[in-house]
Amino acid sequence: MAQMNKHQKNPEPLEDLEELLKRLWPEVRRRHLYPEIPLPRFDDSPSPVAMEIRNKQIILNLDYISTMTRSLPAETVLEALLDHGVSHYTCCPWDLSTHLRLYARAKEILGDRDLARKATDLFMDVVADTHAVKERQSSLPELYRNGAQTPMEEVIFSLYEKIWGLDLGSKGDQETANRLVTIPYLDKRRWMMSLARFIRGIRPLLEDDNGSIPDEQTRMGKHGFQQYAPEEIEQALREFAREAGSPEQFAEVFEDLQSELEIPVQNTSEGMGHGAGNPVDANRLYYMKLAENYALPLLKIPMKGSGYLHPHSHRPWEVCQPFKDLDPWSSFGKFLPGITQIWERREGQIYGRKEKTPDCLVIIDSSGSMVDPRSHLSYAVLGGGCAADGYLRHDARVAVYNFSDAPAGGKEYLPFTRSRSLIYQVLCRYFGGGTALDLEEVTSVAQESEADIFLITDMQITNLDQTVSRFARLKNRVTAVHVGKKSGALRFIKASVKNQNISVFGVNETNDIPRIVLGSVRSYLAYE
Amino acid sequence: MENGKYRHTVREIYDFIQSRLYFNRPDLQVGGEQFNSTLLFTLLTALTGGKALIIGEPGLGKTTAAEYVGSLLYQLPVGTVWASEVGGHPEQTEEKIIGRPDLGKLNQGQEEVVWSHFVQLPVKIVDEINRLPETKQSMILDGVDRGNWEYLNEMILNSEYCLFATANYQDQGTNTIIAPLLDRFDVMVESRHPGPSYGFLISQRQEKEELLRHPDLERELQDALKKRSTPEEKDSQIAAVAEAFGAHLEESLQLPTLDHTSRTKVREQIASIALEQDANAYARMLLAELSFCDRHGQKRSNEVCEEGCHYTGYLCHRLRNCASNRLPVSLSNYAKALAWFTEASTVGIEEMRAVGPYCLAHRAQWTDTHLSLLQKDRRNDPLQIHLAREAINEVFQRYSEQAEHVKEALATAYRIFQGEALEPVAGDHPIYVEIRKDLNLEE
Amino acid sequence: MFNPFEDFKEFLSKARTLPLDRLSADHDQIMAELTSGYGKLVEQELKSLVWFVEHNRVIEAYKTATEVVKDLSYDAHSIEDFCYVLDSGVDIPYLISGPAGIYVAALCNHVAEEKIVLRLGEMKRTLHFLGYRLPYGKSLRIEGDTGNFTGSALQGGDITVTGATGDWTGAGMTEGKISIHKNCGRNTGEWMQGGEIWVGSRIRGLGRITSGQIYQAGEAITGDALL
Repeated sequence: MAQMNKHQKNPEPLEDLEELLKRLWPEVRRRHLYPEIPLPRFDDSPSPVAMEIRNKQIILNLDYISTMTRSLPAETVLEALLDHGVSHYTCCPWDLSTHLRLYARAKEILGDRDLARKATDLFMDVVADTHAVKERQSSLPELYRNGAQTPMEEVIFSLYEKIWGLDLGSKGDQETANRLVTIPYLDKRRWMMSLARFIRGIRPLLEDDNGSIPDEQTRMGKHGFQQYAPEEIEQALREFAREAGSPEQFAEVFEDLQSELEIPVQNTSEGMGHGAGNPVDANRLYYMKLAENYALPLLKIPMKGSGYLHPHSHRPWEVCQPFKDLDPWSSFGKFLPGITQIWERREGQIYGRKEKTPDCLVIIDSSGSMVDPRSHLSYAVLGGGCAADGYLRHDARVAVYNFSDAPAGGKEYLPFTRSRSLIYQVLCRYFGGGTALDLEEVTSVAQESEADIFLITDMQITNLDQTVSRFARLKNRVTAVHVGKKSGALRFIKASVKNQNISVFGVNETNDIPRIVLGSVRSYLAYE
Repeated sequence: MENGKYRHTVREIYDFIQSRLYFNRPDLQVGGEQFNSTLLFTLLTALTGGKALIIGEPGLGKTTAAEYVGSLLYQLPVGTVWASEVGGHPEQTEEKIIGRPDLGKLNQGQEEVVWSHFVQLPVKIVDEINRLPETKQSMILDGVDRGNWEYLNEMILNSEYCLFATANYQDQGTNTIIAPLLDRFDVMVESRHPGPSYGFLISQRQEKEELLRHPDLERELQDALKKRSTPEEKDSQIAAVAEAFGAHLEESLQLPTLDHTSRTKVREQIASIALEQDANAYARMLLAELSFCDRHGQKRSNEVCEEGCHYTGYLCHRLRNCASNRLPVSLSNYAKALAWFTEASTVGIEEMRAVGPYCLAHRAQWTDTHLSLLQKDRRNDPLQIHLAREAINEVFQRYSEQAEHVKEALATAYRIFQGEALEPVAGDHPIYVEIRKDLNLEE
Repeated sequence: MFNPFEDFKEFLSKARTLPLDRLSADHDQIMAELTSGYGKLVEQELKSLVWFVEHNRVIEAYKTATEVVKDLSYDAHSIEDFCYVLDSGVDIPYLISGPAGIYVAALCNHVAEEKIVLRLGEMKRTLHFLGYRLPYGKSLRIEGDTGNFTGSALQGGDITVTGATGDWTGAGMTEGKISIHKNCGRNTGEWMQGGEIWVGSRIRGLGRITSGQIYQAGEAITGDALL
């Protein structure tokens, strides 16, 4: 004890630490290739962890630093902590999208939110630390050489000893560490597989013998989701929707993390605000974000010639050219080659008549034969969403008629609206019953509004013949997208042969639905 | 040290403009310091003799920033700067922009050119350049590119110059600036709305323009510019007036300025700043992504990128055009200028990343798909600058992951080029393929 | 001619070389070798296009597998990782459960370590023939479920399965011990000639047992213990 005291120092005063931080920070930034994060700050609230990252700012815990600086130079401690924090930003997870994917994978394997969080945090720590040590000449080993605080840390430090080739004085479980040493932590392309292997290795340690989760944190703290900016959240959700295995997986992950993310508030009117608010319908959000990955290009405002020539610019007069376009003022009253200027006339461009974009009525089949959008990816919902988004972008309105056995009440109708949120809410509704359209209602809406119609169904509609004949009499443009057996579609096609306004598309693979829908919308809205 | 003295002077000019003349929010962070991008890039353009395209809504200070910077950095009263500006409208003629025959002498059968102020003065401002016909846009950019102007077989040379062109967003009645002309601008920045507080402040400080006016010197300069003297005489007359104006600023506003010799020295200092290897390698990686095409040899705007190409994850898949050779020149010049300005001894990745979006924004033609995917993103920048910034950051992420590998590839390529029998370093990124092409190893 | 890479003439890499680089590269190499070995086995076994369980067929397959693995250098952890490579279908597009299990069994039987732990709980598919011919002195612990013929032809080894097993567990075993924490399937202990099978929960059906002991939830239900 006396010997230990001899090596212990008094904690550094805050002013000195702040000066030291200001001196070290530029060098740390330089070593990490100048990450765009603000100067870290200190926090003196009692906490067992070394740091926290909030909205990209690293917050260093004074308590922890005081403890560590008793046996290590303050410069070493600060540098190591900064390396760790910055490495999370520049290497792993880098962004929310990667963080979500890692968490989703861990949750898939472990099935428990807290375990998945812990496993993900540990994995990211190992990657970030190894990256800092290998690529950024970090002094993290000095910090860790000071001793592990938990059994998990012992194992991790043993792992570090083996993969860094440094002695950290660790006494962790070698068997577990040996399972983890061959994982390619720095190969980003293999992080998903590496995470699975990592979890397999540490799983017994994640739960104690009683099956409960030990409430221990690593010294570096948890990796919360509040460190990400709102723009990152929107983009990350869009990417995650595309990569999620199913709507269920998306919803599961989203619901786990909703309280921590600055989640967009579900407005009843339009768009998304930010901040704490009512819980978000994860399934609806999934399709909204997924549809954003199938964006339509912008419609260019048509230009056409005005039919009138106007003076556009000057050019030098040449001897053989007529005088009628002469500009006497620019020519100084002279007829001299090189001085005399004539007007070059061009036809003016004016805006063509922009056709009013019609509204759109999306008729979506949610009978039992269609995929339940909550449990599996429903390309019908996705296609309907893509169509809706295409029209909304052009300030048109969209109505949704979601039907199953409509005459028996299995239907939901949303009148024409520009609220994206409400549109998706109705699109995602799943009745799962029989299949029959309420033709009176649908055709009445269609005729009054002259809207384009998108019908997405597997054509197993009980009143298909009546549907076909009714649609054939409509003047609206109708796109029917059918999934599955072709017999129903054939009848539709046959009926529509004489009608130029009906297009029928059969899809062999359901993931063709968004492409077909987009193609139709594109051609309707006259894209270049 | 002299280096420090010049930098200190330019800093004071920046601080003065920001606090007394051009009120706007900081929107760019470099080396822990906050800057306003419009003011910063205008200043760097004036320092390096570059060409800046300033866009923005009407009345948001696009021309103002350039006028103040030009006035202070080149020791010209702002009234003179105003008088030399070229307005963008279709009736502009070569005679109004560059020069005209001396009418009196012309009637006597002699050709003598009366040069415009625009051509004679080093600060060249074109307001609403997109409203000029293409021929006139091209004429101005040609002249600024070469630094010499011709009319009636006479020529005038500019020893130093910089160009600021403003443009409103596309609206009815404007021409576009075609791609080859856009490419000749070094940077594009947006002059933004300053926010309600700064905006209100502007209304309370309407006398600010008077700070840079000096009617007597303006008249003197006007006379000097009108005189029929040799270029050397004219230069020395202008220099004398500039020196007097500089002295006036020092006395009345305690604001030091730079004369021609000092500005030349500053440019030499800027040019001598070295690039760190990371900045160098990063720039090469960026250029690789902007020009590469696995299928067709290089990116071309008349060729469509194939689906299913191995490199769809890189920028080349999202672009329609190929980066020009002017881009690395702009990147290098402005990164060095920024490093000089922020007292960095070398150009690092930070400087490259800071200037990159502004150098790339007007040059990149993105595919419709990419535009529509990102146009709804939350952002502070106009779409073009936002897309460029995203691209720069994305390449930085890739560089961050494999920096050592890339540098090793380049170092190994050096040795192979020298004749050593080595295998080039392999990797997934287009830079590795391009290195093989440079070494004549690509099949 | 000007060298365009002149700026990197003096480049000195600052990145450290960590043991991790070698360890993971070695591991990838081992996986590649194990995969190649499996490929050879499958190539041999699928000459008749269909693989079916038949006593001589299994013996031949095991013999081929033994020939393949004897020259390979690997450890117990690599076997587990290889199982997941098989399961992922990335580098190996065809997982045929019988030959795959025989191959894994051969790997277990010939690895240097005496104690082998395979955490297979996250595999999407189960492997048959795990623990086939495990010799005396070796212990194999499988965390998760296994397929059919687990521990068949056991030759004195000790097998523990923390999940459930399929049919024909312990078929033809001569000595050794199999402990199954959960259920096992039909024909348990078929042609069993010695050794013990301990089943924690349900046994769907017993096979024709020559000799040996089977216990269910700690109670002997067949074999010498009932005599």
